[in-house]
Amino acid sequence: MALRELASLEKYLGLKKPNKYSTQGDKKVPVLQNNNGPPLVGQVTIACHLVKEAKRAELLGDGAEGRAVVQQWLEYKVTKLDCCCKEDIKTILKDLNLYLQDKVYLAGNQFTVADTLMYYGIHPLIVDLAIQEKEQYVNVTRWFDHIQHYPGVRHHLPPVVVLRNRIYTGRLH
Amino acid sequence: MKLFLSEGNPHCLKALAALQVTGVQCGVHYVNHEERVVPFLSRPAVPALLLPSGLHLFSPNAICRYFFEVNGQESSELCNQWLEWEATDLQPALLQGLYLAVLQGKGSEVSNLLQGHLNVLEQSLSKGGTPYITGDAVSVADVVLWAALYPVLSESLLALGEHSSLKSWFDRVAAMHSCQSAAQKVLQGKGLQGMKSYMQRQPVPQSSQSRDAQPCNSN
Repeated sequence: MALRELASLEKYLGLKKPNKYSTQGDKKVPVLQNNNGPPLVGQVTIACHLVKEAKRAELLGDGAEGRAVVQQWLEYKVTKLDCCCKEDIKTILKDLNLYLQDKVYLAGNQFTVADTLMYYGIHPLIVDLAIQEKEQYVNVTRWFDHIQHYPGVRHHLPPVVVLRNRIYTGRLH
Repeated sequence: MKLFLSEGNPHCLKALAALQVTGVQCGVHYVNHEERVVPFLSRPAVPALLLPSGLHLFSPNAICRYFFEVNGQESSELCNQWLEWEATDLQPALLQGLYLAVLQGKGSEVSNLLQGHLNVLEQSLSKGGTPYITGDAVSVADVVLWAALYPVLSESLLALGEHSSLKSWFDRVAAMHSCQSAAQKVLQGKGLQGMKSYMQRQPVPQSSQSRDAQPCNSN
């Protein structure tokens, strides 16, 4: 999974030559053989390396604050999303929904690599949501729909239908 | 800018040590374990840093990284790699170890649980031949890893007999006054007992050995 996500990130970044990856350990942690030094291990580490290689440093966030926020969501993706069990899903969606209430992207107003990886990580959760649940997490689905239509991001993942008009309005009355 | 900490929470040691090592100006507020500092998270998350922009950082490693960057030390690729390893690999094992030691009185099992991780660190330190993990100067990776290991290493739950490079590194970081005083403030010199009330409020960690429930995102 992590390897396919990195391959999609490479395509998004427009890197000409696809890298070859291996994995290590039971958890299949991605490893990138690096010509300029020791191999790089871990999805977040490799993703940030690819962004720099593509000379797209702006995708790592703006200023010390922006960069810390981006790193936080990248860490969230690999620690919380990638190994979440059923009980965690509702909490994750609820928290993200509240967080995204007043934001266009995870780092605020700027699209970053955190949006890309979080989108890959949350895709399996969104696919499983019923329409009514999608409306319950309306900020998450809005963000998700925005990112899946962001030019060049979706790649290995099928599109998920997100309705823009509410069907279930019962709770509001 | 405000840093929220709670006493007896081992994750807070990272944030306070990083703040003191870098000397960044930031107000420190102590709250209780239940306090919901980060408005969008359902579970209390401390340490938390309220940034000047009004955004919150709730990941201890992101907080440490931010302090170092404000101080002019941007995290290198090697640093990134250690921080990711700490969060994804070391932390789950550590939490399980602390759970066993603090709440179940099974401190003797911690050693087995963490042996592999200690070997990784020992190998890297002895091969690298530098006093700190990523080179000749203290980096965010040193502070994060030291603070993560402090609760188990300072309580002698683990013998570092065969890990001589790791032991010298640990003692070297521990000798820094800013780290010493952070440990004293967060853990109050009460050792494992001091963490009890925090650990009791945490969900039972998933055992890596008996993982019967498959994570939903595994393939």
